[in-house]
Amino acid sequence: MLWIAKRIGVSLVLMWVVATVVFLALHMVPGDPAELLLSTGGAMPDAYAIAELREKLGLNRPIWEQYLAFLEGLSRGDLGNSLVDDYPVAEEILLRLPRTLELILAGTILSVLIALPAGTFAAVRAGGAFDRAASWIAALLQAVPVFVLGTLLILLLAQTLRWMPAGGYVPLAQDPARHLLLLSLPAIAIAKGLTATVFRMTRASVLDALSRDHVRTARAKGLTPRRVLTRHVVRNALIPVTTVLGLQMGTLLGGTVLVEYVFNWPGLSTPLLRAVEGRDYPMVVGIVLTVSALFLLINLAMDLLYAALDPRISRS
Amino acid sequence: MRRLYLPGLAVLFICLVAAAAPLLPMPDPIRQDVANRLAAWLPGSPLGRDEFGRDVLSRLIWGARSSLMVAFIASAIAAVVGTALGLLGGWFRGVAEFLAIRGADVVLCFPPVLLALLVVTLLGPGTATLILVLSVLYLPGFIRVSFAEVLSARNQDYVEAVRALGAPTMRILLRTVLPNIAGPVLVQFSLAVAAAVVLESGLSFLGLGVVPPTPSWGLMIRGARSTMEQAPMLLVWPCVALTFTILAMNILCDAVRDIADKRGGGGAKRLRLVDRLLPGLFPPPASPAPLLDVQGLTVEIAVPGGVIKPVEDVSFSLSAGRTLAIVGESGSGKSMAATAIMGLLPPAARAADGVARFEGEDLLRMPEAQRRRLRGGAMAMVFQDPMSSLNPVHRIGDQVAEAIRAHRDVTAEAARREAVDLLKRVGIADPERRARAYPHELSGGMRQRVMIAMAIANKPRLLIADEPTTALDVTVQAAILELLAVLRREEGMGVVLITHSLGVVAEVAEDVVVMYAAQVVERGPVAEVFARPLHPYTRALLAAVPDGDAEPEGIPGVVPRPDQWPPGCRFAPRCAHATEACNAAPPALEGQGDRAVRCIRWREIAP
Ligand code: SF4
Repeated sequence: MLWIAKRIGVSLVLMWVVATVVFLALHMVPGDPAELLLSTGGAMPDAYAIAELREKLGLNRPIWEQYLAFLEGLSRGDLGNSLVDDYPVAEEILLRLPRTLELILAGTILSVLIALPAGTFAAVRAGGAFDRAASWIAALLQAVPVFVLGTLLILLLAQTLRWMPAGGYVPLAQDPARHLLLLSLPAIAIAKGLTATVFRMTRASVLDALSRDHVRTARAKGLTPRRVLTRHVVRNALIPVTTVLGLQMGTLLGGTVLVEYVFNWPGLSTPLLRAVEGRDYPMVVGIVLTVSALFLLINLAMDLLYAALDPRISRS
Repeated sequence: MRRLYLPGLAVLFICLVAAAAPLLPMPDPIRQDVANRLAAWLPGSPLGRDEFGRDVLSRLIWGARSSLMVAFIASAIAAVVGTALGLLGGWFRGVAEFLAIRGADVVLCFPPVLLALLVVTLLGPGTATLILVLSVLYLPGFIRVSFAEVLSARNQDYVEAVRALGAPTMRILLRTVLPNIAGPVLVQFSLAVAAAVVLESGLSFLGLGVVPPTPSWGLMIRGARSTMEQAPMLLVWPCVALTFTILAMNILCDAVRDIADKRGGGGAKRLRLVDRLLPGLFPPPASPAPLLDVQGLTVEIAVPGGVIKPVEDVSFSLSAGRTLAIVGESGSGKSMAATAIMGLLPPAARAADGVARFEGEDLLRMPEAQRRRLRGGAMAMVFQDPMSSLNPVHRIGDQVAEAIRAHRDVTAEAARREAVDLLKRVGIADPERRARAYPHELSGGMRQRVMIAMAIANKPRLLIADEPTTALDVTVQAAILELLAVLRREEGMGVVLITHSLGVVAEVAEDVVVMYAAQVVERGPVAEVFARPLHPYTRALLAAVPDGDAEPEGIPGVVPRPDQWPPGCRFAPRCAHATEACNAAPPALEGQGDRAVRCIRWREIAP
């Protein structure tokens, strides 16, 4: 229990570090952010407007005061207002986050469902036809950038064969069947990298577990091959796989930005990209912090899962 | 090394073409020609024109140039800065270490694309921003690799010595550490370049990377999306170019990493476990049938240079209720023989010849399903290292219960209760509570008791114990041997005890088989063999009996490797009595009543 408390504490500290780094980055940019903001387009900014914006952003106050105000806002869940339309950033995120989460969840479930059995089977029949074919497919999947896969899926399934809509979004409550149909392509695209990595990791991990002494013991007990595999090989092989899963989620979270863009999925990507182009600092900062927090949270969950799977960790 | 060629050539080709782009006779990649927009083919434009009438092939090649340039420059910066930070952190420790390592951790807290977008927001899109972002993103890998190397180098004696001589820090770092980290840094570098190409194309695709009109694969895909309907190939070309480049780079990375790791062994070929022989090749055993009768057992392993035989023509037999010891140094093949009998050989090895009759049935040639029902049931095995032989993630009670339920149709609850009884039987105090413990929570001796409980769970008639006490403390060894002896008496099991300790043999066994370099060299009742050893090797072993259960010392030399056996008597290089004749031909195993010996001079030299 103490271990879990410590691990959660570490996550909180990391979150604070992330927030601080983002804050510092904002204030280390050469030039005055207010001036930079207003001068997009090459027009000479009006001195009065700059002063007003500085006042609004609190740039006139000492930096530590701004920092404290920033942290205090964060702790209340207040991420400030958009510079473009003055809409509260937190509300925009709350509206969009569930859609992004749905995509992440669907992609993760899909890749685990494919990669774990495939990786196990490839390891058990190492060197066989399935192993070779699957390893090549995994290498190919790893090489296709996520937005390329998404674009090609649209070109093939939507444009050429006309089996699928090219993208879009319908709320689940409104039309569940169409909602899932629209979810499927982006979920496949999102799942591709994770599937390849989890496949390779599972394969290596199962191969390693197969050579362990305790597997020989299990066989010496006269267990059926199936039971040896599930209880003594796969169960143990899952442990290292969880760690990779956590780290790999960073790539997956970044991938959602591209995939949502490709498929017109109205998650966090749309406001993020709009804000990056329009230099809407509060919006960018809010979304970056949210997704980073999500990343840290997933890694925390993976570590806890790791501990649950491996009694040697949780008990010492 | 051969694995490097193909992907290496592909990557080299891409790099060369990209580098030579200005020299190639191609149209200007940014010159627009609206009249020919989306043309599928034009003279001089084999891949056609894009939505502004620009030449596609030319843009592909120039796109490779900008992608690779960004990726290489960013990775090089990351490599130099990261390695330097890692070196300094590892050398000075303290504050430098904190800054380098924690700094790397901070970067790893952000999903890469998000960090990149944050920086693009602050600095605006463009090539310079891209290079900055990418080099920051790949810093941590270099920091970690070089940091770890410095730490291990610091502890080496020669580095300490150079330091003590007062050599300047910088020189030590450069001279001793840099050459060592070249390999891992190169691996990191190739990984970083491949990842950078992916990220660059992604950002350009979003319109936040390379700024138009500079050609870039990401931008080309972005542009071709809107004209997908009229000109699908416009989309396909950059997708293929990008994927192919990354695939080649990834494969190259894997190959480089394997070579840097120096452990890229492909593993031996899988062989079928049982080679069917004509049945009845060997005469049926004399009655009363022994419990276990092994005749001519030979195990083969296919290795790159041919076939080795770690067990060759091994014969012995065991009656119910007796204990037979197999002794020999490591490398003699005694454990391999036991695993072959149990049908637990590793995939690369196979029982090539001989028979092993268990209660009259040949274990080597029976179907695996039938053998599986015997394993853990009528015949059981205890292994050398109880830590690695127990599954670390399951409670020991469950592991014992599992052995019960593998052979008998009992409820989970009944099996659990029986497991607790078994644990009590093998002398584990407080078995109820211990049944819920995990292997790492028990002592070595206790774990071996668990292994024994598991082995006797289904009242086996044959128990094979492979060095059951070797991994244990001297104080625990006697207790485990005592336990085995008691169980054997009570259950009437036949026991095969594999050991390198003649002390153990004298204590518990009635018969002994001495093995050397895959062969039986002497066999007989323990009392007689100990009183009058016939083979020089047995005599040397007896003379060298150490205190406790350590490897016998005092016989000069080691057991030769299976691929380097002497042509004649395999013991000849270490034998005090060796003559010319010994090296001429391999001696046969000669029987003498219930004893046997493999030495041409045993009559002359026996006392
Ligand atoms: S055959 Fe010769 S070398 Fe071999 S053990 Fe006998 S005496 Fe020694």
